[in-house]
Amino acid sequence: MTPFEPKIVGFLCNWCSYAGADKAGMSQTPYPPNVRIVRVMCSGRVDPQFVLHALENGADGVLVLACHPGDCHYKEGNYRASQRHRMMARYLTQLGIAPERCRFDYVSASEGERFVQVVTEFTEAVRKCGPMTAVGSAEETQAV
Amino acid sequence: MKTAVYFCKCGSINSDGIPLEALRSQLLGTPDLAYIKQVDYLCAEDGKQWLEQDLLEEKPDRVVVAACSPREYEGAFRQVLEHAGMNSYFLQMVNIREQVAWVTPDSAQATAKAAHLIKGAVARAALHRPLQAGEIEASPNVLVIGGGPAGLKAALTLAEAGRRVVLVEKQPVLGGMPVKFEELFPTMECGPCMLEPVLGDIFHGKYAENIEVLTLSHLVGVTGYLGNFNATIEQAPRFVDETNCIGCGMCIPVCPVTTANEFNCGLDQRTAMALPFAGAMPNVPFLDNSLCVRSKGEACQLCLEACPVEGTVQFDQSVQRIERKVGAVVVAIGATLYDCSNLPALGYKQFDDVYTSMEFERLLASNGPSGGTVTTRAGDVPRSVAIVHCVGSLDRNHIPYCSGVCCQYAFKFNHLLTSKLPGLKIHHFYKELVMPGKEEFALYEHCANNPDSGFTRFAEIAELSVVAEGGAKRVALKQAGREPISVAADMVVLCPAVIPAEDSIGLGQMLEVTRDKQGFLEELNGRLHSTQSKIKGVYLAGTCQGPMDLQKALTMGTAAAGYVLSELVQGRKLEIDPISASVDADKCSGCKICGAVCPYKAIAHQADGNAEVNALLCHGCGTCVAACPSGAITGNHFTNDQILAEIEAMLR
Repeated sequence: MTPFEPKIVGFLCNWCSYAGADKAGMSQTPYPPNVRIVRVMCSGRVDPQFVLHALENGADGVLVLACHPGDCHYKEGNYRASQRHRMMARYLTQLGIAPERCRFDYVSASEGERFVQVVTEFTEAVRKCGPMTAVGSAEETQAV
Repeated sequence: MKTAVYFCKCGSINSDGIPLEALRSQLLGTPDLAYIKQVDYLCAEDGKQWLEQDLLEEKPDRVVVAACSPREYEGAFRQVLEHAGMNSYFLQMVNIREQVAWVTPDSAQATAKAAHLIKGAVARAALHRPLQAGEIEASPNVLVIGGGPAGLKAALTLAEAGRRVVLVEKQPVLGGMPVKFEELFPTMECGPCMLEPVLGDIFHGKYAENIEVLTLSHLVGVTGYLGNFNATIEQAPRFVDETNCIGCGMCIPVCPVTTANEFNCGLDQRTAMALPFAGAMPNVPFLDNSLCVRSKGEACQLCLEACPVEGTVQFDQSVQRIERKVGAVVVAIGATLYDCSNLPALGYKQFDDVYTSMEFERLLASNGPSGGTVTTRAGDVPRSVAIVHCVGSLDRNHIPYCSGVCCQYAFKFNHLLTSKLPGLKIHHFYKELVMPGKEEFALYEHCANNPDSGFTRFAEIAELSVVAEGGAKRVALKQAGREPISVAADMVVLCPAVIPAEDSIGLGQMLEVTRDKQGFLEELNGRLHSTQSKIKGVYLAGTCQGPMDLQKALTMGTAAAGYVLSELVQGRKLEIDPISASVDADKCSGCKICGAVCPYKAIAHQADGNAEVNALLCHGCGTCVAACPSGAITGNHFTNDQILAEIEAMLR
């Protein structure tokens, strides 16, 4: 059996975190290949249904990255995203899904290293959660 | 649907780790994917030409470019599509260089990741809809609010560029604060001498006909948006016709009513018919109706009788409502000073001869209440003056920031006092001394070299107090663990923090311009876009954005004019970015959640309660799209179906 490799969907805002990921690329810092990036103009565009849709369709984890507080290109979209994330964490718990499967964080346009760190940490966190098929398992229930 | 994938080798950066054949086999069976072609450098001129030619020959419906970051080349490839006769939004880029090739050393992993991203892009692209940039007519005219240095400079610059400007000033005269200063730091130029030529140009210069000056006026309402604002201005009656008046001032001394003259900080009296100070412009007196005995029913018309030009004094003037259509608004309403009464230990309004810096400016001015003669209230020549810097500044209990101008004018006071009253003892109390810049050290050096000047640093303003001992004032400094100090001060000058003008609250709300933590009108970005507000078409200049000196205020005025000129180019329509939100009226429930989350006030609610997005104001962030509980809002080019399809396909 091949070892479990988590599938992760990452929603990155165009102005800060996507640019941060580009920085990681330009500095050619390797990081786990598990995150598949969806570019949105603003983290405020990340509809909670995107997160659920990803988990429903085979993602083991979802990453939402935004501009740092006060830095949002659209003034306050990152605050909306942060509010929605808190709500999403509670909702996932109700569904019996470990909230650790969804992470919200801030990465600026210059923080290539931070992007690498967040992706690496999150990949390991999701790896610990196991595949989404494990939802309802003793481990997942305990995590919830 | 025929979707083409163009794989850019980027030399060999992408192709080394992601071999085309391996990629091709992983993409087998991808719906809509018609072909994959590999190119050496797609972004190079010959690469783009080849792509254009290939698109013309292959005629795909959608194009996926697997290359570098869309942040870099999306615009360029959109142009290629356009040249090939395709809608440019039928493009989707996949970032296989920054997100895959450069960061995934293992070739198998890199190829698999690239394949997933390309599948997502192909699925998404199939749902791309043709989009076109819209156009809208725009007025090139500009409303400038505030007739201080920043507003004047903005108005004059715009007028010189051929724009019609409406300049609104709430006072009866223009010039703002510095026109009342005898000398200006750092070079001791005469304030009126510097500003009066600017005022002269505004009223009588070559481009004066482009500027409509509305004094005694304020903005009472504004509707619309960039390019199409409708401003409503209310103008109080002056009761003196500005075109007839010859500025002789004969109406003034005959006026029987007097009051404290607010233009000299209440340090002298003015009549109800008044000109704020000598040299004020426009050189036309105004009648203060709240004081005039006619408003109390008396039949006085002494001013009218004294006026040599018939029909100039017009008692029948009334408040005018003036409507103007403009394309942009420049806000330059200035700032005010922190109230020194908040620091009672400093004796302001308790002792005679304790002045704010603004009051002291007027005392030093030759057109001020004392004609520039510096004497105490008792009429004596002062032997000692204490100047307290940092009054309320750099203090969490008062104002946390440094205003950056006070040290300079404090040294200017020292210079002026020394030349007026040689031998005068001048003592500076300060928390920090601030004098950046290439010219600013000179005044400090002058003070420091003055044997009659002293400097004492305090840690907290609370350590300072103004006390009276046997009728003589002293400034006392008490610091823990140190011997108390006290310095004789026949006069005390307080240099308070520069704070937001009261009007910034109401005007900010009216124009929907946000205010920052300190209450100043907030820039789109304090450094990159420092004269743009967060509302498109509303620009900021001068001390309404924060404390600044005259040089910076004038520069900001010019900069704001520059922004207006480049945003509203005469004869050019405004382009509307198609990446914006739009509302499906049939689905909208009128809950107004979208309006509450929109950072740009781009969403209005019609009479039937339905939301409507103004595409010109919309920045396309999509926050409203995610917030709409009815799914009634479409975020163009980032629609739900496009993103959901991308998610699904990239996980396959």
